[in-house]
Amino acid sequence: MTGEPEAADTGALERSVPAARRTVYRAPRDWHRLHPISPLLGGWAVLGVVGSVMLYNYAPSWSGPDEYAVEIAHALTNSIGWFALGAFVILGVTIGFGYLQWRVNQYRLGDEAVHQRKGIVFRQQRQARLDRLQAVDVVQPLLARIFGFAVLRIEVAGGENSGIALEYLRLGDAEAMRNELLALAAGVKRAKAAGEEATVDAVAAQARRPGQAADAGVAYAGEASLRDIAGMPEGEAETPAAPEREVYAVPLSRLALSIVLSGPFLFIVAVPALVGIAVLALPLDLGDILAVTVGASLFTVLPAAFALLGFFWSRVNSGFGFKAALSADGIRLRHGALETRRQTVPPGRVQAVRFHQTLLWRRKDWWRVTINVAGYQDDQENVSTLLPVGSRQDALTALWLVLPDLGDPDPAGTVSTALSGSGDEHGFIPSPKRARLFDPLQWRQRGVRATDRALLIRRGRLSREMFVVPHERTQSLQLQQGVLQRRRGLATFVVHSTNGPVKPVAEHLDVDDALALLDSQAQRAAEGRRRQTPEQWMSAVGIRD
Amino acid sequence: MTWFEPDDAPWQYVSRTLIYARLITMALWWGIPLIGLIVLGALTSPWVWAGAGALLIAMIWSAWVIVRQVTAHAWAEREDDLVVKRGRILRTVTVVPYGRMQYVEVESGPLARAFGIARVQLHTASPGTDANIAGVPEAEAARLRDRLTSRGEAQLAGL
Repeated sequence: MTGEPEAADTGALERSVPAARRTVYRAPRDWHRLHPISPLLGGWAVLGVVGSVMLYNYAPSWSGPDEYAVEIAHALTNSIGWFALGAFVILGVTIGFGYLQWRVNQYRLGDEAVHQRKGIVFRQQRQARLDRLQAVDVVQPLLARIFGFAVLRIEVAGGENSGIALEYLRLGDAEAMRNELLALAAGVKRAKAAGEEATVDAVAAQARRPGQAADAGVAYAGEASLRDIAGMPEGEAETPAAPEREVYAVPLSRLALSIVLSGPFLFIVAVPALVGIAVLALPLDLGDILAVTVGASLFTVLPAAFALLGFFWSRVNSGFGFKAALSADGIRLRHGALETRRQTVPPGRVQAVRFHQTLLWRRKDWWRVTINVAGYQDDQENVSTLLPVGSRQDALTALWLVLPDLGDPDPAGTVSTALSGSGDEHGFIPSPKRARLFDPLQWRQRGVRATDRALLIRRGRLSREMFVVPHERTQSLQLQQGVLQRRRGLATFVVHSTNGPVKPVAEHLDVDDALALLDSQAQRAAEGRRRQTPEQWMSAVGIRD
Repeated sequence: MTWFEPDDAPWQYVSRTLIYARLITMALWWGIPLIGLIVLGALTSPWVWAGAGALLIAMIWSAWVIVRQVTAHAWAEREDDLVVKRGRILRTVTVVPYGRMQYVEVESGPLARAFGIARVQLHTASPGTDANIAGVPEAEAARLRDRLTSRGEAQLAGL
């Protein structure tokens, strides 16, 4: 483990020498089209239509498909020539349309942002500002992966669909562009902080000046990405990835067991078991039950089965081969079974963290950690996973990754109490006993605590949950009180974070505690905003001194 | 009952004219079915008027709620943040730091314009931030928007 960063360093340096002679990629400064293979990679959905026609055609009658659909399928396949022609035409039209779209879909790296324009009927212009960069992902859907292509997703802060997706680039190009953008974004940010000209050209020129790079901190740990590209003729050098150090990984066996220990899986196992018990205990005929099960249309059972499979699939896909690593560019996460995803979240871009442990995971003391990153959408649970399943130690490491300095003398002890403690130990503000009316089970577990750098919110008795929100990431705060709560002298404290799966809320606090918390938290957030810099993150995780 | 009181800035209550604006909107929504019921009652049986009576009671009750709501709606400009309070049944206090405001929106419909009031809506990067001040006098709304924008620019922090 400790030898790895050095190895990566020298490897990158060695690579950069022959790189000048290899075909390399740099983000284009003029309007540029995506890879010409893109329309073909996108047009495969047609195969699904053909496949479903075949499915209906050959579906046995007992599976109970829609008769109308079967008729159409029969009609289509009876005249096999027409069917083939039709499929061919549809395929052609899809690819042709894809080609037209590809022709108008262009991107370029501007002075301060990545620009994209696309659309035939509705023209779209988008830009992703480098100083607003929240995350850069390299995604490889199955088909693209087979042929070595990838989608580059650039997420910026700015609400729904504000990011840019470049579909498709060669995998190597996508990675090179990611490295370049991350290096430029960091440079632009630093230039802005220092009050210098913050454009791409200025940053590259700054990096080109010898001697400047070393003290201005343009260079990353040892080997400078920007310095390297700037020192070579334009269009010939490639920005190497910042060296990274693996922090934790999720073995497949643990992932598999974690899925077995989940509610939906138990449900699947429990239904046949319950039926079995019913058969044994009651005078029921097994044959009848089988007849009923088979008789129920397969086409109505299938969607339900698919929904369950979808759950398992998303769990497997988001956890398969999960690795978290640390680099100067930020946190790198990679995962995925068929569709692989390599995420890079720059320092200080994580808005909120949620720890979750279901009852079934408690014996193993496993935790799932999800995060909010501005730009990622609500429904993308699998991109917001920091740790799909891991021990308490892994969970603490995950938190340390995004928040190296918790501002507490005993961070491990505090977080452990936050995860599984109760009452007012370790300085937590608990819910009062009056909250029993609303929370008969979990009122003891509810608690809030502010450290110097973050707010910790704990809740849940059977299924445990804990939120961490860094003070400087607080968007806004709210206090709520309904009529019943007022009677009981309680109030609910809400922290608004950016869009994502983490929605921190501390319900049913004592009203005086909640009022004091609102005031002090507003103050702490203001202080946090004044002192936040990404450089602090780097030195705290040991990338820079 | 104790509730949030900003210590360094006074509450500024919204304009009372908002009551009239909301009452008119409410009357339009409920008044048409009410008239319909009365006409129907006159044509058929007087029993339908019982329904009209129930509707009338509901209208009076919601008028009362409107008055209570508007008189509880206020904002305060503190040094670092804006505080908005609202509601009587479900009370909320929202604290929005100036440095977190992405943009400020001032809007007024035809009715609000007739009464010379506007709604000031604050947007942060969080969809959960529900901070709007309804019923600010137009001139004050423009001033408030400018003040918020300039303070936001002065204290703007990256996400």
